[in-house]
Amino acid sequence: MKISLSWLCDHIDVADFVSRPEELARQLTAVGLEVEAVENRARQFAHVVVGHIKKLERHPNADRLTVCQVDAGEGSLRQIVCGAKNHKEGDKVVVTLPGAVLPGNFEIKKSKIRDVESLGMLASESELGLKAESEGILILPADAPVGQPFASYFGLDDVIFEINVTANRGDCLSHLGLARELSAVLGRPLISKAPEMRRAAQVSTRSQVGLEVKDKGLCSRYAGQLISGVKVGPSPTWLKKRLESVGMNSINNVVDVTNYVMMDMGQPLHAFDVANLNGKKISVDRSAAGEVFRTLDGTDLKLTGDELTIRDGERAVCIAGVIGGLNSGVTEKTTTVFLESAHFAMDSVRKTARRFGLETDSAYRFSRGTDASMVPQALMKAAQFIQEVAGGEVAADHWDELAKPLTKPAIALSTDLVEQRLGYKVSDEDLEAWLRRLQCQVQKASDRQFQVTPPLFRQDLEQAVDLIEEYGRLKGYDLIPETLPKMDYAPLASNTDYLFEDRVAGLLQAEGFLQTVNYGFLNDKAQAALLGSSAAYKAAGLQLPETPVMVKNPLNEDVNAMRISLLPGLLKNLLLNYRHSLETGRLFETGWVFKKSGEEFVEEGRVALVAWGQPSSLWNKNTATPMFFEVKRAVQALFDRLLIQGLQFQAWNGEVPSLLHPAQAATLFAEGRALGFVASLHPKWLVEEKVRVPVAVAEIDLTQLKRGQPRLVKYQPISKFPAVERDLAFVMPKTLATAEVCKEIKKISGGLLQSVDVFDVFSGGQLAESEVSVSFKMIFQDHEGTLTDEKLQGLQKQITEGVTKKLSIRVR
Amino acid sequence: MFQAGLQEQLQKALGELKSALDLQSLYEVKVRFTGKQGVLSEIMKEMAKLPKEEKPAFGKLVNEVKSSFETAYGQREVEIQNQELSAKVERESIDVTLPGVQEFRGGRHPIHMVIKESVEILSRLGYAVRTGPQIEQDWYNFEALNIPPDHPSRDMQDTFYIDEKHVLRTHTSPVQIHALLKDKLPLRVLAPGSVFRCDSDVSHSPNFHQIEGLLVDRQVSMADLKGTITFMLGELFGKSVKVRFRPSFFPFTEPSAEFDCSCPMCAGKGCRMCKHSGWIEIGGCGLVNPRVFEAVKIDPNAWQGFAFGFGIERMAIIKYGIDDIRNFYENDLRFLRQFSI
Repeated sequence: MKISLSWLCDHIDVADFVSRPEELARQLTAVGLEVEAVENRARQFAHVVVGHIKKLERHPNADRLTVCQVDAGEGSLRQIVCGAKNHKEGDKVVVTLPGAVLPGNFEIKKSKIRDVESLGMLASESELGLKAESEGILILPADAPVGQPFASYFGLDDVIFEINVTANRGDCLSHLGLARELSAVLGRPLISKAPEMRRAAQVSTRSQVGLEVKDKGLCSRYAGQLISGVKVGPSPTWLKKRLESVGMNSINNVVDVTNYVMMDMGQPLHAFDVANLNGKKISVDRSAAGEVFRTLDGTDLKLTGDELTIRDGERAVCIAGVIGGLNSGVTEKTTTVFLESAHFAMDSVRKTARRFGLETDSAYRFSRGTDASMVPQALMKAAQFIQEVAGGEVAADHWDELAKPLTKPAIALSTDLVEQRLGYKVSDEDLEAWLRRLQCQVQKASDRQFQVTPPLFRQDLEQAVDLIEEYGRLKGYDLIPETLPKMDYAPLASNTDYLFEDRVAGLLQAEGFLQTVNYGFLNDKAQAALLGSSAAYKAAGLQLPETPVMVKNPLNEDVNAMRISLLPGLLKNLLLNYRHSLETGRLFETGWVFKKSGEEFVEEGRVALVAWGQPSSLWNKNTATPMFFEVKRAVQALFDRLLIQGLQFQAWNGEVPSLLHPAQAATLFAEGRALGFVASLHPKWLVEEKVRVPVAVAEIDLTQLKRGQPRLVKYQPISKFPAVERDLAFVMPKTLATAEVCKEIKKISGGLLQSVDVFDVFSGGQLAESEVSVSFKMIFQDHEGTLTDEKLQGLQKQITEGVTKKLSIRVR
Repeated sequence: MFQAGLQEQLQKALGELKSALDLQSLYEVKVRFTGKQGVLSEIMKEMAKLPKEEKPAFGKLVNEVKSSFETAYGQREVEIQNQELSAKVERESIDVTLPGVQEFRGGRHPIHMVIKESVEILSRLGYAVRTGPQIEQDWYNFEALNIPPDHPSRDMQDTFYIDEKHVLRTHTSPVQIHALLKDKLPLRVLAPGSVFRCDSDVSHSPNFHQIEGLLVDRQVSMADLKGTITFMLGELFGKSVKVRFRPSFFPFTEPSAEFDCSCPMCAGKGCRMCKHSGWIEIGGCGLVNPRVFEAVKIDPNAWQGFAFGFGIERMAIIKYGIDDIRNFYENDLRFLRQFSI
């Protein structure tokens, strides 16, 4: 909100801050009224004064230039070269002296123009930033006082504060409100003036316009004043300038006064043209459902029956506190005005304003809470000003319907509590003095005990803690010392979801993957198109919903649905990197996916990985490894480190999701549960996205993975006896999974087998097209003693025979 | 005569040892001199012809010669071994400026690094991590936090709605409510997490992260709050940072404050990061509003608390000097690779 320093001076004497507005800004910020900007117009026009052209001559070296001898009130004349055509000897002009900085960072310096010295510049309106374009220099009226600073001559010597008023301080949304605050901060008195006006004894508001407040719940006070014989027209300059200084446009003298009083006292007003109030009555009631209302600016609104409206005998003429109707507003033809000043319920005004997107200055103030006790004062002030600027007679009486008396309960406050909560010593005297500055009524109940009644305009003061904050902020938060709270109880245990997610991320970091963070929402159609059938993921233990949770009011369609998988985000990251020529990368994300199950929203933890492109460096040129195994390596490491035994990669049971390569997709099983999948991406995706490197992904259910975590390492003693390595190669059909052979070897070897791994896969040569030779390395160890040759040979024979027979394959 | 011959043979053999250049030829010299068919063996055969009384002296002489040879042999062997080792070392010279083996280097996202660091710091003060849903009930996100429907304080947070009763949580503060309902008092908890607001521009992302801290005990003061925040920011940015409180408004705290820290980039002298003010806005805090305790049926006369919260992205921006908030969600490798934990 914009606050004018000169306007503030109507209510409190702060004129001494004109030369140091930053100090006032600092003090306001320190008490919680954050000043976001200080616009110091006087300073913008430093070194700019009114001058008088005493003598004008042609420039000796340039036809188009003139050399002026200007009196700028300095005692001697100043020579200035000017290129304009519209000036003559004797004109009063605007002189910018060396040192002035005009808008656009245009610095005025002493200079020589075509060999003639020029000690300044005669300025045009556009150069002064007053107009976008102008012709010639600005010629001032003949009575302009020579030497006067231009800012004060032109009424631009004001300082405007842009203040961020927090939602609880509706009382500060006006110059009076801010003056009250400053009165407390600075300890200076408020200036109050009773309105003076001529009343017409023979004209009565009440007899000309009836009033009925039907909904007293939403309108606790309604006051109205009739003013007849007004002449609607443009506002006087002082009024226009004040409104413009706080960013408001001038409309006509009557409407301007209502706006002026709102900015002045914080009470929004509305003026009706009595000629257009059918039935000559006002009724305050809710709208009729389906009723169409045309606003002042010509927009048609369909009302719901919920909005509070101001109605005449027949129809709505105003949406209470939000916007007036086109049917009853003040126009040039208006001669009799009914001026409204009222108090409307804040939540109702806010709801209506939000419903129709009408965030008017009036609605803004009502929805932050206005002061019902201000209603008649604002009405009188506005009536006085209307009479001043538009003439007319103020009716002898006025309406003022008050639903219930205005009171505020007293709050019990103990000085000890103030002291304890702020953390420093507080005396009764000091506490009482500051509360009084805030216009609270303070009664001392006993030593260190008060009964405090806040002023009616402070709706935010309801509890003892509210008063503690008032005292604390006015004293200054810098007074608060720093202590560390004592702890004489046991700390709680941390949430295990967080700890586990952090651990998984650490393990994947160790595997060379970089962590990403993606939005929790994305485009629903793109997500569905990318992932394909959500049912297909069931085989991998991932329950993807058929329809995602939708956002009702998305920022845009790109983020209209909650994610059901982490892959869309990771693949988006991949594409961004790939388009930046980063043709190899390893990324992962830990995060949440969303679905609705019955009436409940469910959030599941996931971890997903993506790997694309093989590394190609001096020492590592192995580009043949299928990308699938790069992701498999990391997933295996993850399970290993989480001490999850028996991880199995199984062929997809059923339809493979269309995003994945149907012949390079595996579901993950461990401890009898499907936990996720590892797969290469379908070549179709690569072609469509023009990605020319292989891509593999994994997605795992974190909740499933977390079962029984953290697990305890069970130490195994290291065998004192030597381990023996044996190799075996089998020729087998390509369709047989090597895992089947390993399983069989394990089964036969029992406890003596330490490990079995595939170390070579070979096809071609002497082998049939359908065959492949696979070499297995087995490590045997006996914890009881050294393995004897006989025992080993026996075992090897058992394995060879057992495996070949069971799986119908042959030894190579 | 034998004696002279013996010395001559020894000198000859010692000469051969010197001229042997590798271990193989050296060994051959040894075989020739002390081997079964070697020179010394031949000479020993001659010894049989000597008169009996001369035999002991001759035998002694032969042993002396043999031992001299073996000493010389041993020395020469070490010499050659050393030479060969030097030569091997010479041959194995590499260009140490060639690149090291390139493995993929993993890393944590800066958002998670700040979360992790904050959690570690606050854990030392006894805070335990709590989480809550991101699709949150209106009651937890607003009403229990003293933000009634159609109250102007709702304007402070532009909200994404899921349905009549659910929103995407606009802050991590609802986790306060979950903790107050579930955990035993007194308590110290913190809640890092993802939050959503319906605005997006150069400095705002519609989905971002916050950390919330909550302490509840019998007596809690603004001084306790200020001390805690000073400790936390000191650990994050260095002990020399100063903390400033400014009065502000949050419906769920009273008194409320925004907290700033002296700019860690310029030590408060003024720079681009702090817009030449010397101070950087970090977050909001205050003493738990009794209305919040009332909402969760905790006696506000028996319990007091403080709460604080701040944006993770903002912390990361300050800590690492990141210039554009979009970096956090684009996940460009060239961005991610810069962070190490």
